[in-house]
Amino acid sequence: MGHDTAEWVFVAIVIAVLCYVGVDSWMVQKEVEDVPADAEVIKVTGQQWFWSFEHADGTKEISTLHVKKGHAYLFEIQSRDVMHSFNIPDWVVFEDAVPGHTNHAWFAPDQVGTYPIQCREYCGLLHYNMRGSLVVEDDNST
Amino acid sequence: MKTLIIAISIITLVAIAIIPQIHFASAQLAQTQSAKQYINLRAEVWNEFFRMTTAAFTVGAIVSGTMIWLVWRFRESNPKNKAPTKWEHLEDPTAGSYEEEGH
Repeated sequence: MGHDTAEWVFVAIVIAVLCYVGVDSWMVQKEVEDVPADAEVIKVTGQQWFWSFEHADGTKEISTLHVKKGHAYLFEIQSRDVMHSFNIPDWVVFEDAVPGHTNHAWFAPDQVGTYPIQCREYCGLLHYNMRGSLVVEDDNST
Repeated sequence: MKTLIIAISIITLVAIAIIPQIHFASAQLAQTQSAKQYINLRAEVWNEFFRMTTAAFTVGAIVSGTMIWLVWRFRESNPKNKAPTKWEHLEDPTAGSYEEEGH
């Protein structure tokens, strides 16, 4: 095997791996950002220093959000004052709440339980306490 | 040999591009078959993280491995380096050229 061949193999392997990284990341991003058509919209509003939620049927909640297991939800995330970041670590929901702009994130819980909600963008004096709870309940209607 | 390497590389690249498409298509198909079937975001994100880590370590291993081989192969004490090269025979090493060496 001459030097040329070895160099070609080296270049080909590295290019192949990098192509794999690009294509695979792109595909996963597409898959993850593909919001299910039947996702129920929940408006999420961040303000110093609590979260408020509005369901599609008009029900409003503060700090504690109740959802049903096995349903998909699309969060429309807004802020009323400064930058916040809506984060449910257990369900990999993590999106900035920007004043004057609506960001989107979706999730479909498949386990019943209570999970923490937190602000992940420093937003002032009581940022540390800008927490909430996500309560995933069994869907009795199905 | 070079043609074979290029052919294998092209086949690999095509396979790499197609495999995630098949995965995505089957996931889409599963979703249309059952409206209640959603992808598991946590699993997707963590799987991607581990795949990317594998890729990063593979590239790292290739690059660092090549450098280690290079240093080991061209060290002064390597018996293969005992015979002086064509340039080292010259009184003035700058007078030689790589083209004449035939590599």
